[in-house]
Amino acid sequence: MPKTNTGYPRLDNHLANHRANHRINRRDALKLLAGASVCACCGSVHANQLAYNLAATEIATGTWAVHGSNDYFTLENGGNIVNIAFVEVPDGVVVIDTGPSRRYGEALLQLIEKTIPGKPILRVYNTHHHPDHFLGNQVFDSSVIAAPQKVIDNIGFEGEGFTDNMYRLVGDWMRGTASTPPTVVLEDEAEEIGGRQFSLFYLGGHTSSDLAIRDDATGVVFTGDLAFYNRAPTTPHADIDVWQQSLRTIAGLDRELILPGHGLQDNSGASLEQTSDYLDWLHRSLSEAAASGLTMNEAMTLPIPARFQSLDVVNSEYQRSVVHMYLSLEDELMPLIEVK
Amino acid sequence: MIVKQALKYLGLAAVVSVTASVSQAFATTDLPDDPLNSVMWENMATRFFPGEVVIDQRVIVSAPHDAEDQMQVPITIDATQLDDVVEVVALADLNPIPHILTLRPTRAQAFIGFRIKLEQASPVRVGVKTSDGIWHVNGVIVNAAGGGCTAPALAHGMSDWYKTLGETRAITLREDSLSTRLSMRMRHPMDTGLAPGIPVFYMSDVEVTSPDGEKLAHIEMFEPVSENPTLTLKPLVDDNIDELLVYARDTEANEFRFSLPVPATADN
Repeated sequence: MPKTNTGYPRLDNHLANHRANHRINRRDALKLLAGASVCACCGSVHANQLAYNLAATEIATGTWAVHGSNDYFTLENGGNIVNIAFVEVPDGVVVIDTGPSRRYGEALLQLIEKTIPGKPILRVYNTHHHPDHFLGNQVFDSSVIAAPQKVIDNIGFEGEGFTDNMYRLVGDWMRGTASTPPTVVLEDEAEEIGGRQFSLFYLGGHTSSDLAIRDDATGVVFTGDLAFYNRAPTTPHADIDVWQQSLRTIAGLDRELILPGHGLQDNSGASLEQTSDYLDWLHRSLSEAAASGLTMNEAMTLPIPARFQSLDVVNSEYQRSVVHMYLSLEDELMPLIEVK
Repeated sequence: MIVKQALKYLGLAAVVSVTASVSQAFATTDLPDDPLNSVMWENMATRFFPGEVVIDQRVIVSAPHDAEDQMQVPITIDATQLDDVVEVVALADLNPIPHILTLRPTRAQAFIGFRIKLEQASPVRVGVKTSDGIWHVNGVIVNAAGGGCTAPALAHGMSDWYKTLGETRAITLREDSLSTRLSMRMRHPMDTGLAPGIPVFYMSDVEVTSPDGEKLAHIEMFEPVSENPTLTLKPLVDDNIDELLVYARDTEANEFRFSLPVPATADN
């Protein structure tokens, strides 16, 4: 079955069917390996020591961010490259995204219990369907996990493939993880959870459906991966025009603070400007390259402007973006020729 | 997958150790060590590079370190530092079908861009034969997850994919005073025959000629070339050539012909 190397495989229906016919996947293979203890380098002693050591940072009153590294998925970070957040509301706790694995979800639950002891989790939001944002769902009560219908559909469609690929990328950190879609369909512009109102913004562009959430009491906006800050944006499912429109929408909101999907919180809107600036450059640069007939490999060697050089993992994300965006740019920019 | 891959490597190693002893017995020249340390090196060299082989850094093979999309792994070969290139052969050692394509740049620069399907992490190896018969070989290793060659083409998700068979997008730009850059994409599923129930069906030949029929470049393509093959070439054009003729044919003998203008030097 086709897999990208990234946690974001391209799949469509017939490929999903193809997958269904080949049920022996790498998860089973890893289980076999772990069970038989045949591999000296990934034996069970080492496996039991895997721990995310999550820490909560209070970024606004009663609002905690759990920051991941700004890297790509590695065997060392276990997929913890993402910002997760939780908010204390009068009657309980609201959680935004759940991390890359079951193990992460369990660590997150412990961290919430330690930070805000004894309060029930009333709502879990999934901002979009990328694996680092929802594969911790499994440990939460499924009746409180909510997302727009399209996010739920995307998880149903691609979640299993993502999970397989995450096993390949980060290995035993994923043990026991299964894709678990949200059960609550979000449709309203706002909802009250445990005595606190949250505004919901149905946006897109990073993927086909991206949810942004504002805590109306604190003014904190959780953007999901619509905003990156000092970490290069990822584009496996991107529609740049729609993404730019979403960034303009968020820029126009009344707000006090932004928590991007990756990178530190931002009270000025700089994360929105930086993400928009990068996407604009990326689209223009690759359009020029495709219109000039450059091969993808040649496009990959084009210089990255100085103002983006300090973004974490910009070189590798830029190369990935060439592969994500080039085919459609070529279709757009190379004229049709009459064939006899 | 790890178990499967380990078994596969063991299997390959066993096969290679047999062929290696055979080929050593009959080898006329000594093979240089493989810089990519592939278990398939002797097998590949014996099959595809008969004669004298040298490892040559002047053969520049560009490919990403990791395959972001295994159905479309971009490869660019630039052997323009070598003179008198006769043939450029591209291989993926560990693909079930290793031979990707052969370029014969009769009157073109020894340059080609294309995309391939990768079944698993593999060396992507290029042998460039010069007119003295020597094979100049270089390559890179591309890391990949698994499954590029055995998956059905995306076209088969559409019921009417055959209606756009051969649909072509192309541009020609002046590369320099002697050559033009030709980029083209032809719609074709490029079926490998390895996806269940889908027989082999691929674009097998692409030929670029001048208006008076002089052959500029010929590409013999095989199953690993990606769906909707996208090729970048640099045909040599003198003042008389204001047009390139392209002829393509697939394994079902469908033929496709189109012509492309050659921009004047000043039109860069």
